[in-house]
Amino acid sequence: MVNWSGRKKFFTVLAFIAPTIIGLLIFNVYPIIYNTYISLTNRNQSHPNPDCEVALTGVIEPQCWPMFTKTTSGYSTPYRLQDPLFTNYTNLVGKLFTTESMLNLLRLIGVLVPLFIASYVNKRMDKMLSRPISGLVVWFLGLLGAVLMVFVLDAPSAYASLDKSGDFFIVVFRTILYVICCVPLFFVLGLALALILNGNFIKGRTAFRTIMIMPWAASTMAIMLSLIWQFFFRDAGTINQILKIIGIEGKAWLTDPGWAFFIVVLVNVWFSYPYFMSIILGALQSIPQEQYEAAEVDGANFMQRLTNITLPLIRPAVLPAVVLSSITTFQMFGTVWAITQGGPTRGAGTPGFTEMVMVYAYKQVFQSNAYGKAGAFAVIIFIFLFAATLLSMRTTKITKGAYE
Amino acid sequence: MNRRPKTWSLVLQYTFLVLMCIFALYPIWFALLASGREGGRLYTLNLAGMFIPTEWTFDNYRVMLFEKPFLSWLKNSLFVAGFTTLSCMIVATSAAFAFSRFRFKGRQFFLVLMLAIQAFPGVLSLVPVAQLLTAMGLYRNLWGLVLAYVVGNLVFTTWLLKGYFDTIPIELEEAGMIDGCGPLQSFLLIGLPLAKPALAVTGLLSFMGSWGEYVFASVLIPAPDTSRTLMVGMYSIANDMNIPWGYFAAGAILVIIPVLLVYIYFQRYLIGGLTLGGVKG
Repeated sequence: MVNWSGRKKFFTVLAFIAPTIIGLLIFNVYPIIYNTYISLTNRNQSHPNPDCEVALTGVIEPQCWPMFTKTTSGYSTPYRLQDPLFTNYTNLVGKLFTTESMLNLLRLIGVLVPLFIASYVNKRMDKMLSRPISGLVVWFLGLLGAVLMVFVLDAPSAYASLDKSGDFFIVVFRTILYVICCVPLFFVLGLALALILNGNFIKGRTAFRTIMIMPWAASTMAIMLSLIWQFFFRDAGTINQILKIIGIEGKAWLTDPGWAFFIVVLVNVWFSYPYFMSIILGALQSIPQEQYEAAEVDGANFMQRLTNITLPLIRPAVLPAVVLSSITTFQMFGTVWAITQGGPTRGAGTPGFTEMVMVYAYKQVFQSNAYGKAGAFAVIIFIFLFAATLLSMRTTKITKGAYE
Repeated sequence: MNRRPKTWSLVLQYTFLVLMCIFALYPIWFALLASGREGGRLYTLNLAGMFIPTEWTFDNYRVMLFEKPFLSWLKNSLFVAGFTTLSCMIVATSAAFAFSRFRFKGRQFFLVLMLAIQAFPGVLSLVPVAQLLTAMGLYRNLWGLVLAYVVGNLVFTTWLLKGYFDTIPIELEEAGMIDGCGPLQSFLLIGLPLAKPALAVTGLLSFMGSWGEYVFASVLIPAPDTSRTLMVGMYSIANDMNIPWGYFAAGAILVIIPVLLVYIYFQRYLIGGLTLGGVKG
């Protein structure tokens, strides 16, 4: 572009991006700083008010600012910095860093080792001219190994003892489990539908596609559609009525831990598979037909065409979708909140069976008023998500500008 | 690929498609059925009544429209979503244009940083945001909600639009620059008109985003009932055991159907727009 002088360029760029930067500073960066500060204090139900005399509190806390109309009421002692500064953090994750917990954690991760091996073996075999075993068989063996490892390492007991280490592990583990259940289902359903709808011999493809898009359109109002789903599974809801008509005794779906979790997965799948279907369909249409024809001449069957042509070629389009969906699923709030509100409960003080990361955070802040604890939780989750986002930037490579 | 698949395989495929269609549509269809039933009768359905309309009344619609504050919720939501979209587009297009066209120190850094700070759990930033808005006198005010939404939508709209600006050939603007266009003119006269399709998609997505948002709306505008937004209001209706579920269904249908129609109309652009920016709505 035309050469600008330094100062003029600086002000032009500033004029273009200043509103964005100011907005982000006030509504995104400031809350992060605020939360980090609060996470070091003992602010909670019994110490809700700031002590504006403390220098840092006076600057950070809006209630201390001059334009704030004083509404601070009550005689409770104001919140202070915790004595060991990181008390909130040690309360949350401290017990995870003992030798015993670490060993248990390793046992849980060990269950996944066969899958890593399968992935590695597959990568090595891809480099060979002709693979001795097909990729799917390797994955199946890996899965089998993983199931075997569950028994060898006694994963349930490892989980049970980690479960006692505090809220943090329970909530994060459940949320990760939730992501692991949801995202592959999005992909498999999306892929199956896209493959069918991409065939030339299906009639009414546009109509089918339009119908399939609907949940995605409805997902913009996730909370409302989740409430409809919730009605299905109520005690006197639709499912139980259908069961009653066929003569089966219904059950309280939403208070059964396993079923509640399944329902939350199901509804999330309902919302998200159309997105994957659309992405994969778009990617499929850009695969040249000649590749399939050549494969057919070589006598490749459906599975071989799928694993050797289709999957590798749709990978660049699907990978960003997988990464982004994993992150959004990890942060899922509305769906879970509308359906189970984090329940069924497991007794006071412990997070419920479907209490995902965001639901937990919400409950800590707005129901228990445990601001300090919630702040520490948010900071830890933020570090995770920050890293995940940066990682996803590398896999999706979307920062390229017009000149690169 | 051009051979006709075997008949059993085709039958299997159609069966799967039809089952998935039922899965996709049934919740919406059921809400439609429920909206036409008298409240209490939802709990005594027969098998046919689960799938086809066996009776129909507009009573629920009448109650929702004239006796519940549904219309004022609708008005609030339209107000918030409309102004959010408008302000968001103005702010985000200029930023997106700058990030796509100007080369300045820290461009890449800002872009990545923007996305990364969005990773902070939104629920947790609610307390400071609510306090900030109180300090500004905008708590319990729709404008405060608009402000929070604009910033919330900003990153994703900027990314989406930047992605689109990147696909517009730079030569167009270079030609303009030779003819004496400054950066502002090249933005207003060349960049903006070319980005119209992306603007439409981004605008729609940001509109829908603030239209369907629940947590911020419920915390930033807790009361009174009439100044709530649609999602918060509907949530309160659905979870109130004293209000027949049919009312909720009627309200839901009134909102869902227009949105579905808009999506069906725009689906081609939406999918294109989403894959373009690599950001999920």
